[in-house]
Amino acid sequence: MAEKWIYRLKEVGQEHNDIVGKKCANLGELTKAGFHVPPGFALGVDAYCRFMKETEASQRILKYLEDFKADPHNLEDTLKYEKASQDIREIVEAIKMPSDMEEIVKGYYKELCKLAGCENIYVATRSAGPTSHPGQYETYLNVSGTDDVVFNVVRVWSSTFNTRSIIARARLDMPLHHDPIGVAVLTMVDAKAAGVMFTVNPVNGDESKVAIEGSFGYGEAVVSGNVTPDRYLVDKIGLMIEERVISDKGNEFVYNPETKEMEYKELPPDQRRVQCLEDREVLELTRLAKKVEEHFGCPQDVEWSISRSLPFPESIFLVQARPESVWGKKKKESVLGKKTGLEMLLEKAMTPTKVRA
Amino acid sequence: MGETKGFPYAEEVKLPPEMAGWEEMYPPHRLFSKDRDDWEKRHFWYQDKIHDPEALYPLDDIFNEAWQIALSQYTTRVFCIPPAQGVQQRMLGCYMYISAVEPPPPEVIGEKAEVFGKRLPYVLQNYDMLWGKWIEKFKALGKDMQSLKVPEELVKYVPDEDIFPVTKGYTPAYEVIAAFNTLVNQIFLGWQYHFEYLNLAYLAYLMFVDTAKKLFPGIKESTVMGMVAGVDAAMFRPDQELCRLSRLAVAQRPVGDILKKDISADEKIKELKGTEAGRVWLEELEKIKDPWFFASCASGWFHYEGSWVTKMDVPFSYMEGYVKRLEKGEKIERSLEDITKERERVVAEYKKLIKVEDDRKSFEDAYSAVRTIYQFTENHIFWVENWLHTIWFDKVRKFGDLLVKYNVLKKTDDIFLFNRFEIPMILEDLVTAWALGVGAPTRSKYWMEKAEKREKILEAARNWVPLPGLGIPPEEVSEPFTVMLWGITSEKVGEWLKGADLSGNEIKGFASSAGVAEGPARVIKLAKDIVNLKPGEVLVCPSTNPSWAPVFTKIKAAVTDIGGLTCHASIVSREYGLPSVTGTGVATSMIKTGDIIKVDGTAGVVMIVKRAGA
Repeated sequence: MAEKWIYRLKEVGQEHNDIVGKKCANLGELTKAGFHVPPGFALGVDAYCRFMKETEASQRILKYLEDFKADPHNLEDTLKYEKASQDIREIVEAIKMPSDMEEIVKGYYKELCKLAGCENIYVATRSAGPTSHPGQYETYLNVSGTDDVVFNVVRVWSSTFNTRSIIARARLDMPLHHDPIGVAVLTMVDAKAAGVMFTVNPVNGDESKVAIEGSFGYGEAVVSGNVTPDRYLVDKIGLMIEERVISDKGNEFVYNPETKEMEYKELPPDQRRVQCLEDREVLELTRLAKKVEEHFGCPQDVEWSISRSLPFPESIFLVQARPESVWGKKKKESVLGKKTGLEMLLEKAMTPTKVRA
Repeated sequence: MGETKGFPYAEEVKLPPEMAGWEEMYPPHRLFSKDRDDWEKRHFWYQDKIHDPEALYPLDDIFNEAWQIALSQYTTRVFCIPPAQGVQQRMLGCYMYISAVEPPPPEVIGEKAEVFGKRLPYVLQNYDMLWGKWIEKFKALGKDMQSLKVPEELVKYVPDEDIFPVTKGYTPAYEVIAAFNTLVNQIFLGWQYHFEYLNLAYLAYLMFVDTAKKLFPGIKESTVMGMVAGVDAAMFRPDQELCRLSRLAVAQRPVGDILKKDISADEKIKELKGTEAGRVWLEELEKIKDPWFFASCASGWFHYEGSWVTKMDVPFSYMEGYVKRLEKGEKIERSLEDITKERERVVAEYKKLIKVEDDRKSFEDAYSAVRTIYQFTENHIFWVENWLHTIWFDKVRKFGDLLVKYNVLKKTDDIFLFNRFEIPMILEDLVTAWALGVGAPTRSKYWMEKAEKREKILEAARNWVPLPGLGIPPEEVSEPFTVMLWGITSEKVGEWLKGADLSGNEIKGFASSAGVAEGPARVIKLAKDIVNLKPGEVLVCPSTNPSWAPVFTKIKAAVTDIGGLTCHASIVSREYGLPSVTGTGVATSMIKTGDIIKVDGTAGVVMIVKRAGA
């Protein structure tokens, strides 16, 4: 197959959205624009198609589905979908990647290892659909070694058959056996803290603020809502931290080298209420958020991660950026109602101020 | 607000017995009174801590009399801010309480709206021309006051030139009486001018805050103020002149060396006169002394504060600091260019964030309206409270001297113990005795005893803590000064009702200049102690004044008891990029010199991190 289905992140940009999926395209765009993004590569949606076709996975799934009947709008049928998901994922994950593809993926992974200067570096394999479905597909963290990388790419593909994805497709009357997505393979950041930031105050839509949430360990803890993060509200223009709420974070989400699994580890009591970021990190994140917003031209929702081994400010990585979905989509309407300064002055002169609540 | 509905009424307030007789120090219409009981109880009164944090000497109360009229009339009779009325005053136990008068009836609001709609645009459109006229007439008024002749003595026989070739027709007896009346008229006129555009300027500011908050709900008022504040206002000039003189001194070695000496300003001036370079430098000082050394050492509201010209040790101690820092190669001036650039950046960035074209236009228009007229708030302060008040105090003391000379009063400043209606009586007593001829007595014993008694009453008043409010807080206020200058908000009234808690470690106030800084506190209650301030300390004081500007290059942060976002401490802190929290009400009582405090000017919170000696 002559067509290209794998890319270094710096080779893609927003215009490749439909080819590599949104997350990969955005990460590529950030990389190209000079932001500090963990090195990585992207498997395009064509890689998915090729895998499904060449290994005849599609056919086998279609065959399985021949006898499958369920109503996605009937909650009681959820169990049927769960069973189907389990069966289909077993089918897919048992299939080996075609060997030429496998070699190429391994080659790209080795390139990342070389770049990092060590063998078997840890990477994350993340799903990247052409349209954004946050949290629908799956992501595998701390994957290491060529074989594991290849296997986990397949696992991400297979996650298009998880229960919620199948039901979602069934509800939209879309084919159940086929949902091409891209996969991002990203070098893991050994995160001491990570989280999310919005380039708008999500509470009231104030675009002069950046709202940052972070916690100890990997960012999944914040995104999934499994810990109560520290919160900062920073003024974009004066670069001032205007509000800070240091929470009892309880756990940190970390990698356990013994079990090779990610897990929530309870924080020692004296660390639970320690703020997870230094002020200079908060301000640097704010500067980055402003730049990202400026680059993309609309309010952004940015995921970030801070390495425990690199010195500030190289320690700060951006690991995702997408348009903020609430305020960014609101139609911009006039709040001042086309008034002149004089008209507003006359209006102000007529309005008394309430003194007592 | 829980069960407490309000504060006691004036009549329910118990004063210490040592204050008995305080009422006679102030004119009767300035006191709470049974005959206006219903009206007074309908209003909520709060102590004016901004202008009169201290027990008031009767003559210093004249500025209040003058502003009660001036402030109110521009709202009610001149520019006619529709739903607002004046701000009324009452004295209670030597402290002044004020209250926004309840709104007028609806038909009056309608009438006023018509007048306001016609007059406001005119002022905005012609402000530059109007300001030109204002400064011209104000300077003329000050010159008139300066040239007012107060007889230094009552001559035994009027001189021949009062007879030949044409008899003058009147004597120093008349001159004394007339001069005091003129002086009073002049200070009243000055205060009429003081408010000429101030109400509109505050209104424009409040409008701009609203506009900015509609667009950016989380914007801090200190940020808005930073966009509006002027850079080159008259109130900064005294400090600029000190910087310039200090540079001249450094360039002329002997001058710089003399300025650094640990001797009084008088001795320094004497030494300077002894050298050629010193004489040249003193000439330079003399050229700018009037008006720029007519800066009050504190607020300008009290006779005992003094001004640079009357307390030369103050500007000389500032220059001593500047000279030392210049010699170390430090920069002492505010960088007007940097401040202007930063302000332009901030405004441009906010504008860029406004995505709706119409809103951006409205914002720009609102901004240009407020920028046009807001300068008045920053310029009038120097000319009225500093320059004109300095001249006033000087002239009043001439009458004090005269009364001391003829044994009617013991000390010059005892004249301030009498109100402006009583002083003509004392003066009349004096000139009557002179006119009656040799041996005719004055009632000097009566006046002297009165002065002595009043000094004691004031002493007792200083030791008494007045209530922050009287009566029931209102639902709403439309009077722009009440909201902006005195910062009367529901939170503030609520805090007052709870009563100040002096035991904690956290003090809240206005977030008036953003940033965070930590350092040892220096509590300065009296202006003269300002010289004790050391570099790196945090200034904690009742309120500050433009003449304190040199101090702001030394300190890490500023905290005040009194003042909102427009007070001097706020403006100057923003200019110098220092965090400041103003209007805390209690900072000087809770914080002790040497305590380590953390000032968060972004949140408006001061934390006592470590107590001195702890």
